[in-house]
Amino acid sequence: MFPTLDPLLHSELRLAVMSLLVSAEEAEFPYIKEQTGATAGNLSVQIDKLSAAGYIEVEKTFKGKKPCTLCRITPKGMKAFEEYVESLKSYFIR
Amino acid sequence: MEENSNMTAERSLAIITEQIEKNRRAVSKTLGQSLYISGLCIMATSVLVAIINFLSMSSGMVGIGHLLWFLLPVAIWFFSRKYIKERAHRPTNMVGQMVAKTWQTFAIFSLGFFIIAIVCTAILFPMMTTAEYSVVQIRVAPIIVLLMGMAIAMNGQILNQRWLVWFGAVAGLLCFVWEHFEVLTWLLVHCLPLKPYEASVFMSTLPCVTIFIFGFVGLLLPGMMLKKQAV
Repeated sequence: MFPTLDPLLHSELRLAVMSLLVSAEEAEFPYIKEQTGATAGNLSVQIDKLSAAGYIEVEKTFKGKKPCTLCRITPKGMKAFEEYVESLKSYFIR
Repeated sequence: MEENSNMTAERSLAIITEQIEKNRRAVSKTLGQSLYISGLCIMATSVLVAIINFLSMSSGMVGIGHLLWFLLPVAIWFFSRKYIKERAHRPTNMVGQMVAKTWQTFAIFSLGFFIIAIVCTAILFPMMTTAEYSVVQIRVAPIIVLLMGMAIAMNGQILNQRWLVWFGAVAGLLCFVWEHFEVLTWLLVHCLPLKPYEASVFMSTLPCVTIFIFGFVGLLLPGMMLKKQAV
């Protein structure tokens, strides 16, 4: 029996965002958009979902006069990601 | 990338690997550019300092060019802002931060020590005879090269480049001994038929040559390597 994968992470874009944030302390919205190749609207929706689940925290600040959205992974998000990877491993081991 | 919840395990793994690798490349590129620019600034400043020292020697202002080192952090900051435009969107990681903090610490210690040396010289020089002063004087160059060697060795540890660790440690210690015990002065006086003026030209430009080489090997080369890795 294969373990169930976290449905929140088992989505291409959300998984890509989480994978990026795992290896970076924090990342700005334009950087995540550039790396994932997603549209701003879609990315914004997925980031909101991850934020609502407590997997990432979103900080809206200003860089000079320009608005800046910073995303960083939370300890809960890190744990969920680790569990996701562990579950994923079992699909390859069996 | 679209919203797709029906992924296979292989696809999930591929996404994770791809994003981590992309991020590593982006961070390496930014770090490489920072090191590259810092290395170029150090090399350019050491050439300028050597030229100014050489030109000012005839007017009796020995070593006046060394004051240019104070402008180095400003130059690095200015050129980094100018040429690393995409940095605004790039995240940092632990490696990048540790490398940056190492060089920031080096800059704080070097400039602080430089200021202490200048103040001490200004106070002690008029109070003492030349013989007394030669005993208590603070030699800046040996400490700077030692600190720089240490910073390069630490960078080597952080970047996992063993050759950089060896270079920093060996070159830093050797150049410290070379500068502190004035090996060059001894060689110039005892082995080469140089006039005092010619010897003093060599002595005032040698620290610049050392720092030029350290800037090239310790900053420019790792910067180029990181930039190449990121492609």
